Amino acid sequence: MPKLVVDGKEIEFKQGQTIIEAAKEAGNTIPHFCWHPSLSVSGNCRVCLVEVEKMPKLVIACSTLAAEGMIVHTASEKALAARNAVMEFLLINHPLDCPICDEAGECKLQDYAYAHGVGESRFVEEKTHKDKRVPLGPNIMFDGDRCISCSRCIRFCDEIAGAPELTFVKRGDRVTIVTYPGRQLENPYAMNVVDICPVGALTNRDFRFKARVWDMSANKTICQGCSRGCNIELWVRNNEILRITPRQNDEVNSYWMCDHGRLNTFKFVNADDRVDGPYLRREGSLAKVGWDEAFAAAASELKQFNKNEIAFIGSAFASCEDNYMLREFALNVIGSRHIDFMRHSDSNFGDEILRKNDITPNTMGAELVGVTPAAGGLNFDGIINSINEGKIKALYLIEDDILSANPELENTLAKLNLFIVHSSNFNKTTTLADIVFPAAAYAEKNGTMVNFQGRIQRLMPAVATLEQDRSLDGMAMSRLDKFGTRFDRWAKGNKRDVRPTWKIILSLSAAAGYKLIRQAQANMAEDIFEIMSKKIDAFKGLDYDKIGEKGIMLKIDVAEKA
Amino acid sequence: MSIWETIIFSLIKILIIVHVMLITVSYLVYFERKISAWAQNRLGPNRVGWKGLLQPFADVLKLLLKEDIVPNQANKPIHTLAPLLALFVAFTTYAVIPFGPDLKIFGYTIPLVVADINVGILYVLALTSLGVYAITFAGWSSGSKYSLLGGIRSSAQMISYEISMGFSIGGVLLLSQSLRPEAIVASQSGWMWNAILQPIGFITFLVSAFAETNRLPFDLPEAEPELVGGFHTEYSSMKFAGFFLAEYANMIIASALIVTLYLGGWQFPYLETFGLPYGWYVAISVLTFLFKEALLLFFFIWVRWSLPRFRYDQLMNLGWKVMFPLSLLNIVWVAGLIMIFKI
Amino acid sequence: MADKRRKKDLTFLERIYIPEIIKGLLLTLKNMLKPKFTMQYPEEKFIPGGSYRGRPVLVQEENGEERCVACGLCSRVCPALAIEVQAAETQREKERYPEKFEINMIRCIFCGFCEEVCPEEAIVMSKDYELAFTSREDAIYGKDKLLVPVHQLKDRIEFLRSYK
Repeated sequence: MPKLVVDGKEIEFKQGQTIIEAAKEAGNTIPHFCWHPSLSVSGNCRVCLVEVEKMPKLVIACSTLAAEGMIVHTASEKALAARNAVMEFLLINHPLDCPICDEAGECKLQDYAYAHGVGESRFVEEKTHKDKRVPLGPNIMFDGDRCISCSRCIRFCDEIAGAPELTFVKRGDRVTIVTYPGRQLENPYAMNVVDICPVGALTNRDFRFKARVWDMSANKTICQGCSRGCNIELWVRNNEILRITPRQNDEVNSYWMCDHGRLNTFKFVNADDRVDGPYLRREGSLAKVGWDEAFAAAASELKQFNKNEIAFIGSAFASCEDNYMLREFALNVIGSRHIDFMRHSDSNFGDEILRKNDITPNTMGAELVGVTPAAGGLNFDGIINSINEGKIKALYLIEDDILSANPELENTLAKLNLFIVHSSNFNKTTTLADIVFPAAAYAEKNGTMVNFQGRIQRLMPAVATLEQDRSLDGMAMSRLDKFGTRFDRWAKGNKRDVRPTWKIILSLSAAAGYKLIRQAQANMAEDIFEIMSKKIDAFKGLDYDKIGEKGIMLKIDVAEKA
Repeated sequence: MSIWETIIFSLIKILIIVHVMLITVSYLVYFERKISAWAQNRLGPNRVGWKGLLQPFADVLKLLLKEDIVPNQANKPIHTLAPLLALFVAFTTYAVIPFGPDLKIFGYTIPLVVADINVGILYVLALTSLGVYAITFAGWSSGSKYSLLGGIRSSAQMISYEISMGFSIGGVLLLSQSLRPEAIVASQSGWMWNAILQPIGFITFLVSAFAETNRLPFDLPEAEPELVGGFHTEYSSMKFAGFFLAEYANMIIASALIVTLYLGGWQFPYLETFGLPYGWYVAISVLTFLFKEALLLFFFIWVRWSLPRFRYDQLMNLGWKVMFPLSLLNIVWVAGLIMIFKI
Repeated sequence: MADKRRKKDLTFLERIYIPEIIKGLLLTLKNMLKPKFTMQYPEEKFIPGGSYRGRPVLVQEENGEERCVACGLCSRVCPALAIEVQAAETQREKERYPEKFEINMIRCIFCGFCEEVCPEEAIVMSKDYELAFTSREDAIYGKDKLLVPVHQLKDRIEFLRSYK
């Protein structure tokens, strides 16, 4: 491979790479605003100027191809002077409103001004004033003053989202960004421009002013919006999820995620209608009870039915561990063969970029762990029919609001003699339930999910519950989390009395007098996965460490499973 | 006088003395706080009553209302006994201190001393040695390392200084040729005060008295910075108040002893030559005693707020290598005086 | 062994202690007679100067609005984590305002960092030092207690400007 020298260090590069790409791969990030690894090069911010020996002038690293034997200095006196000058130019018209800017703390301009700025301005004239607070679309607010005209957002819309909605207008220091006449910035991926904007010119209207970035902790997990399973970070302050940002994973979602995932997959975790503690139906209405009482009630109720009268419905919203435990419970404790889960598909949702028609995150996982009818068992439709016919009298459902997905089921479910539901929130289905167990939401548990590609990825907890401590269970900690006491209001965040489904089922089988797992005591989701990895071929040889933060492809034939 | 009359008069005297002592002790605390405040350019207690004069009562009330805590590890009977013992020693010592000439009233001649016994000084020495037990008991029975260290220090210190104290008294006894406090007072008529005749003995006795009462600069048994209160670390409420009371009562005893032994007791120099009526003579004598006593008490407090605490080894060095030889020297000096001047 | 000798040997008079003790006693006696400086507090109030750091307060402009833009820098710099700010959007020119601004006076250590870091001169240390509360909840001062009209804080603001 050809080699070049950057800052005295010889590095290898692939033919066709630019200096900035080659240097980045070698761990030397050259300052940049307009360059983005997955966008085209525009070369207009000029901050990546580097000195290349034998070239008469400084060159921009983002558009100069690396060549054999090139000797690059990114921090020579000349390069630094140029970078400082570029920073001074950029800061001439940039307002000094970091205190009220949401980008502060994760702002490239702020970081580079700190590293390269002279500290004071020689510019005595009035700064230019452009439009502030321009709503470019339903979710994005634009502040013209702050824009440094790097064109990243324009290129994103053109190249990635395939929806040219933004453009520059005017010239010189009056240049600004607008949407094309009659259009709005409202493509399904529009909010990625907030992430790639190197300054605070484009802000997320949903998150605007809600929190400073340094007060939150970023917790890695995966998106629940569809079967893509985009890698994301949940930003949590005071045990409340405030925003979601995509996390780079070239195999799954590159740097991006869709607006649906970003806006609609975390609010239910914070919602007031969370199931907080187990509920039993008493005299027609659900009443909160203790865990032991709920387990005892569920166990004794289930014993009243013949094993063929009980059906189980898993969930494509629940993790592999949860589904696996449900299956073990159905087959080994109850002895029922009627187990399946409901498929959710929305033919309008998918597209060619990231979104998939299957709007559940773990269909593949549920199938892999065997939440499918056992030999002679009924599938989902069969279960529904049998309920209508009165053959199945008890239903055990986890983490799926089947009634909202299919309102026609209302009369069917009403016929059940016993309806046990695991749910994170009260919803239409829980209104018919006899026993509701509070299931931990995806942000409150460890687990694994398998996306449409057959890639197994980890869910990692971001929100503490009564049984899951922030520091003990290894969640990301902000400064506030580290030093807060129970007497501080900002550390008192609502901790709910919820448990992951697999744990509830384990306790329930113990209450029914059956030890579901005989090997080690299963205290963690990881233990369940260890058992699964021994029993399920697709998971052979895997553990949480091997799956890691970015997931791993399973050795299965995806086409066959799908 | 019949035996009954003697008992009645003694009881009356005991009652008066105990009450005067208790009130004096509480006001001594008040003055201790006031004088410390003045020495530090502060005002001191001035909230409870006029000029804070009711402060002692507030303090007592506070101590009464506090919870009486006995540590788990404590030996409870001894833990309770210790403050009582301290109080007992403090009050009974006063029995032999004369505070005025004989009072002649309603045809009776009443000596102004509770018990005019001919071994009074031995009695005092015996009781003050008993005081060590109170502190040692408290230190040992609390079951706490700080208390134990305080108790050990206390016994070592008291035994060491008792020797120089005893030998200092030897000089006084040589001059008075009696162990009766009354006789000692009588031997110091006019300006023939022992403090003037035997200054070395006076100073050794004074220093030993500081050590015996555990007052600064010799308060090593308590030593707050090192021992968190020493022997009374584990005491609270009225038991603590008992030690507190005993410390101040001991101060009063020590000053009374110094007055009796070295400063001419209740005698106002040459008062009998002024030809006053006998009633006036008695009154002025008692007042003289109280005045001398008050001056000494002020001195006690004054020293406390001026001098730093001795280190333990310094304390022992001073006791054995300085005070002890000096008190011996004092006996030789007094013997010399007697031989030369035939007093 | 370390050298244990004194730097200066004591003279004989110093070695017999007594003159030194008398000197010490006279010093305290002299002080006993000096005038006292005690301030009779509840009746006689201490009025601090502009440099005094009492409880931190938010500056309220004459038109009743707070200066604070809820940037959260005070909250970030606070070494005791006493300050909690929740920003919200407003239609005024400044865009942001503190929807909630709470200082936990149990945590506050009166270091004045919040005042130093504030870009808007919106939080300043007042002269208020009488801060007694009887419960943890009472110790959390919200905007109702924190907002103080700017004319009451003139001393401190002038002091700050003169040292900037």
